[in-house]
Amino acid sequence: MKILVCMKQVPQKDAPLKLNEAGTWIREDVSYEVNEPDAYALEEALRQKEKHGGEVVVITAGPARAQQVLREALAKGADRAIHLEDAGFVGLDAYNTARAFAATIKDEQFDLIFTGLQSDDYGFAQTGVILAQLLGRPHATIIMQIEKTDGGIQVKRELEAGYFQFVDMPLPAVLTIQSGINKLRYATLIGIKQAKNKPLQKVSMAEVQSAVGANMQKIERMYIPHKSKKTEFLEGGASEIAKKLVDKLRNEIRVL
Amino acid sequence: MLTFRKPPTDITHPQMPADVVIVGGGPAGMACALRLSQLIDEHNANNPDSQLSKENIYVLEKAREIGQHCLSGALLDPRSMRELLPDFEKEAPLDAPVSKEAVYFLTEKGKFRFPITPPPLRDHGNHVISLNRFVKWLGGKVEAAGVTVFTGFAGSELLYADDGGAPGVPARPHVSGVRTDDKGLDKNNQPKSNFEPGYDLQAKITILAEGARGSLTKQLIQRFDLMKDRNPQTYGQGIKELWEVPSGRIAAGEVIYTMGWPLTAREYGGAWIYGSKDNVVSLGFVTGLDYPDPRLDPQRVLQQLKRHPFVAKLLEGGKMIRYGAKSLPYGGWWAIPPVAGDGWMILGDSAGFLNSQRLKGIHLAIKSGMLAAETAFEALKNDDFSAASLGALQQKVESSWIKDELWKVRNFHQGFEHGFWHGMIHAGIQQFTGGRGVRARYTGISGYERMKPLRDLSADGGPEAGLIGHAKGDGKLTFDKLTDLYHSGTKHEEDQPAHLVIHDTNICESRCVREFGSPCQHFCPASVYELLDDPAAPNGKRISLNPSNCVHCKTCDIQDPYQIITWVPPEGGGGPNYDGM
Repeated sequence: MKILVCMKQVPQKDAPLKLNEAGTWIREDVSYEVNEPDAYALEEALRQKEKHGGEVVVITAGPARAQQVLREALAKGADRAIHLEDAGFVGLDAYNTARAFAATIKDEQFDLIFTGLQSDDYGFAQTGVILAQLLGRPHATIIMQIEKTDGGIQVKRELEAGYFQFVDMPLPAVLTIQSGINKLRYATLIGIKQAKNKPLQKVSMAEVQSAVGANMQKIERMYIPHKSKKTEFLEGGASEIAKKLVDKLRNEIRVL
Repeated sequence: MLTFRKPPTDITHPQMPADVVIVGGGPAGMACALRLSQLIDEHNANNPDSQLSKENIYVLEKAREIGQHCLSGALLDPRSMRELLPDFEKEAPLDAPVSKEAVYFLTEKGKFRFPITPPPLRDHGNHVISLNRFVKWLGGKVEAAGVTVFTGFAGSELLYADDGGAPGVPARPHVSGVRTDDKGLDKNNQPKSNFEPGYDLQAKITILAEGARGSLTKQLIQRFDLMKDRNPQTYGQGIKELWEVPSGRIAAGEVIYTMGWPLTAREYGGAWIYGSKDNVVSLGFVTGLDYPDPRLDPQRVLQQLKRHPFVAKLLEGGKMIRYGAKSLPYGGWWAIPPVAGDGWMILGDSAGFLNSQRLKGIHLAIKSGMLAAETAFEALKNDDFSAASLGALQQKVESSWIKDELWKVRNFHQGFEHGFWHGMIHAGIQQFTGGRGVRARYTGISGYERMKPLRDLSADGGPEAGLIGHAKGDGKLTFDKLTDLYHSGTKHEEDQPAHLVIHDTNICESRCVREFGSPCQHFCPASVYELLDDPAAPNGKRISLNPSNCVHCKTCDIQDPYQIITWVPPEGGGGPNYDGM
C-alpha cells in the first residue's frame, strides 16, 4: 500500500499567543509542533505499511521551520518527504493548499491519502476533502479504524453521541483521521539518525503556481475576546424568582 | 501508593556507538558542540588524508525543543561568545545592550540607592537576552554544522566499563557512555504498548552539561567521590516572571538589582529587574538555598518583593506573561569538582562555573564548553580518552580567564554564612585583597544543613512572617503558585512513574512533618509536593506528588533536609516550556 500523509506544523497548544501588528494572525515567535490529528494519521499509515507493505510518504506546506514535522515523520519510519517550502505557501487557504498538494503529487499513484481531521490552528477540516474532490477520489472523514478488505477498505467513522458508522470503500481513497485512532510511537535515536539520509524533496511555488489561485478565504481581523462578566441577583420569593429567571432565559439570553 | 521511576530489569537496550556524547543542550553543551565542529572542519580542511567525522557526535537534550528548559535572567557577558563566533553580535538574538544600571537596598517601604554601582555589578557592554531564544539560535548553528541534536532524550544513567586497556581506553573503571530515558513506562513502572527502551550510547567521551545539580553529574560525583577536599556546592533558587508593562516604565537595557527586604539579614539573595525590548521586563529573585526557616517559600519571596512600592509602581497595569524557576550553583571555585577524568568531562553549571558575585554564569558555561571541545578534539586525534588526556581540560580551565574571574570571588558566598552584614564586610575586605578576605580559603557547609527544626522557630515566623507559607496572590500583581506555574508551560506525559524518587517516604511522614514541617511543599516552586490530611498517617499527613507539575529546577534534590530525594529525568520531551524566557 502506498500512502501519503498530509501534515501541518502548528503553534503548540498551550503556547502564549500574541497578535501580530496587523491583527490578522499571531506573532511567529512561539514553539511549534505537529498538528495532533496528523500525528495519528502518520501512525496509522505506518501501521498499515507494517501490515500490508508499501511506502509512506509525508508532505507539508510551510516555511523552513515546518521541515521539523517531516524530520519527525521520517524518524518514526516514513520513507520520504515532500516539502512545499516557499513564503508563498504560508497563509494559503484550504482550497489552495489542496490544489498545491494535488499538483505536486499528480504523477504519483497513492492507494490512500491521509490527513488529520482538522488543524489545531485554523480548524477548517477542509484540506482533506477538497483534495479528494480535486483528485476525483472517494473520501471519508473522522476515521477511527481502517481494515483492508478484498475490494478495498472498511473504515469506522466517529459520529456524534457515541455512534459509529462503518463504510466500505474502494481504493484509492482519501481519509481524514481522528485523534486517538491508535497509540503514537516514539521516535528512536537510530530512527532520527537514519532520517537524515532519507529523501526530502523540496517544491517551490513556481512549480505549482499554475494550479494555485487567489485565496477565497481571508482573515480580516483577529482579536482577544473582551472578558465581561456580570452577576445579577434576582430578588423575591421562590416562584417570583422562577418567573424572572424564565423571562430572562427566554427573552434576554434566548435559550428557551 | 507512589511508584517511583526505576530502570526496568529484563529489557535489552539497543546499542549505538558514539565518539562524543554531550548531555544537555544549554549554552555549555551547544558551545562545546559548535567549537568541536569548528576544530574538526579546520582539521579536515588541512588534512585531506586524515579526516575526522562528526557523524558520531551527539547532543542529548531532554526538552522537546532546543532551549525550552533554558532559564536565566539573563544578561550575557559577550566575552566567550566573541571567541566562539567573533561576529555573533550581528546575528544573535540580543534584546538590548545594557544602558543604565542601579543597585538598591530595600527596606519595607523605602529604598536606598547605592551612590555608585559596585564594580562587580557593572554591566555596561553586556546584553539583555532571552536565554531560551539565544540557545535556540546557537543550537541551530550546531545542527547546521552537522552535529546531531537528539531533542526529547534525557541521559538517565551513566554507563561504566572496565575493559582493561583496550586501545584508547583506560585500564580502570571509566565512563563508557550514557543510557537514554526509557519511554512509555506507565504509572506503575510497567511498559506500555508503545514502550521504547533507552539506548546505550557507547561513547569514547561523555560530556556532562546538564545545568545545576545535574542528575548524571551527581551519579558521577558519588561514584568517584569527586567532592572530596572540596567545599560542598551551595545553591540558590531563582524565580522568574516575565512581565509586559505599559511603555515608559523602564528603558530597554536598564538593569536594576535590589538587596535587603523582603529578606531579613538571615537569608541570602536579591532581585533583578531587567528592561528588555517591547516593554517586556524580566523580574526575578534568587533566594540562597541556605535559609534557616524550613517554611520559607522562594516563590512567595518574589510575590512579597512585588508588593514593595518601588516594584509595584513599575509593574502597575502590566501583565505577567511567563514564569519559571531554576537552581543555580553559588559555591564558587572551592566547590568545583575535578572537571575531567577517564572518559568524562563536566561543564558549566554542572561543574559550578558561576560567578556568584556578578550573578553570571552563561559566559563561563560557554567558555568551559569551548575548552572541553578543544580537549575532546585532541583526544579524538590521539585516540586517547583517559584521565591523562582529558585531564588537559583541568589545566585549560586553570590557565584561562575562567579561573582569573572565579579566583577573585572564591570566598564571596561563604562570607555570608553569618548573614548579610557580615557578608558585606567580608565582601568589602575581599574586594581589596584580590578575593582572599580574612582567610585563604573560606569553607562552607551544605545549605540544607542550615535549616532549623520547627521547635527552634517562632510559630508565626517572626521577621520572616511574610516569607513563609504559600502566597495567596491578588491575581494582578501577586500570584499563588499554581497561577504562576500555569505560565511556565509545563507539560509531561501523565501516565508515567514519579521521577522525584523519595527513597524513604516513612521519613517524610513520621519525621519530617513533625521536625521541619515538610519544607518540600514550600521550596518546590511548582507545587509538586503536597501533604494531604490522612488520619492513618503517623502525624496525620501523607505525602503526595504531582510530578507533572515539575519545572526541573532540582531544588528538592538539593534542599531536602534528609537528602532522601533524588531527581531523575522524567520521560524525555516533558518539562517546562521557557519560550521567550
